[in-house]
Amino acid sequence: MTPPAVSARVRKEYRSRGATSFLLDVDLEIPQGFTILFGPSGAGKSTLLDCIAGVTQPDAGRIAAGERLLFDSAARTNLPPQKRQLACVFQSLALFPHLTIEENVAYGLAHLPPAERRERALEILESFRAGHTAARRPGEISGGEQQRAALARSLVSEPRVLLLDEPLSALDEEVKAGIVEDLRGWNAARRLAILYVTHSREEAHALGERMIALDAGRVVAEGAPGEVLDALSARRAAGRIRS
Amino acid sequence: MSLEALYLSLRLAALVSLLLLAAGLPLAAWLAFGRWRGRFLIEAVVALPLVLPPTVLGFYLLLAMGPRSPLGRIWHSVFGHGLAFTFEGLVVASLLYSLPFTVQPLVSAFRSVDPKLLQASAVLGASRLRTFRRVVLPLSFSGLVTALVLSFAHTLGEFGVVLMVGGNLPGVTRTVSIAIYDSVEALDYAAAGRLALVLLLISFSALAVVYAVNRRVWSPWSAR
Repeated sequence: MTPPAVSARVRKEYRSRGATSFLLDVDLEIPQGFTILFGPSGAGKSTLLDCIAGVTQPDAGRIAAGERLLFDSAARTNLPPQKRQLACVFQSLALFPHLTIEENVAYGLAHLPPAERRERALEILESFRAGHTAARRPGEISGGEQQRAALARSLVSEPRVLLLDEPLSALDEEVKAGIVEDLRGWNAARRLAILYVTHSREEAHALGERMIALDAGRVVAEGAPGEVLDALSARRAAGRIRS
Repeated sequence: MSLEALYLSLRLAALVSLLLLAAGLPLAAWLAFGRWRGRFLIEAVVALPLVLPPTVLGFYLLLAMGPRSPLGRIWHSVFGHGLAFTFEGLVVASLLYSLPFTVQPLVSAFRSVDPKLLQASAVLGASRLRTFRRVVLPLSFSGLVTALVLSFAHTLGEFGVVLMVGGNLPGVTRTVSIAIYDSVEALDYAAAGRLALVLLLISFSALAVVYAVNRRVWSPWSAR
């Protein structure tokens, strides 16, 4: 059996005035392909992603990407985000506003000679149908184009794992569908592990091969998207989950 | 008009603002992004010249540069003369006096860079130094200009500290503000008026540049 691309056992507590205000306590495995991380706002989806990416440190747990140990509280291991070799697209996209799209995409290729950097940046922008934006700055292109640029930037260094934090939430359906199709096409041959955070049922259904539902910091269901959504509906009917 | 005093002040202000920018960048970066909880103490020390009377700062600096102080002794053994009442002494005093005018705009510019951009840079594999050079510095352009211009203008107009530490030696420590004071003392209001007008114009231009840059009248990149 193929080992999981990412395994994450994470405990992270936020305290306010001496009491626990939020507790994320999960143990999950992410295989290759699309995995949807589904749940309402405040369920802990972004916190979990930040812990895996290394920009937030869990209080306890163990995170590994394939054979590589990224975090282990028992062994006092905590790789900084620079060394985790994961790709991440934040909800805000976080494109550098002072750099052109081509410079943004080439940013993670600092180890390559300039000509090769440029060539690879343009190539991946083309494959995400955003080649025409290369010379422009993020403030000069549309939301959909920014999204394509952010995906290209995260994937240009050919990571094994891609973390996407509600990347398409601000886009209209048509643009969204186009980008999803391109991402699927890109991943068909590569089989990266893609953890895709969303609170939209439509997106979850359209994209996921597997789905993990979070609520109030805990995994409440996992499996095929249809089954998980059914299980969530049943829980909601029983009044055990927030809408 | 005392061109000598004007030239000396301009030379002092240019040197001090450049040295402060070089020293202020790492200090401001540490204050903005460091993790030590006691950083506020250093921020308070940096801000002291804003509230201390210049004569108090000048008095302590004069003591620190005196022949019996460690700094004065080291300086004397290396250069063969004391630090007080020299141009170098003025530079050292001005560095401290104008420090908050460099560090505070830099810290506030660095802190206003979106943390998500810093996280994105890290996830893309960039070291902290590369993130600082490629993301933080370019996005802090207006803070850099503000720091440079304010420290220049503040040093150009300083009076109390200069008088305490440098005295009034023509061509060595006699800055434009001291020359104005001298002219008034000698009832030469015309000479004082000309120098005062020059300082007024330079100060106004400096502040106009600061406000223009902060309002993005000129920006190195467009953000629609």
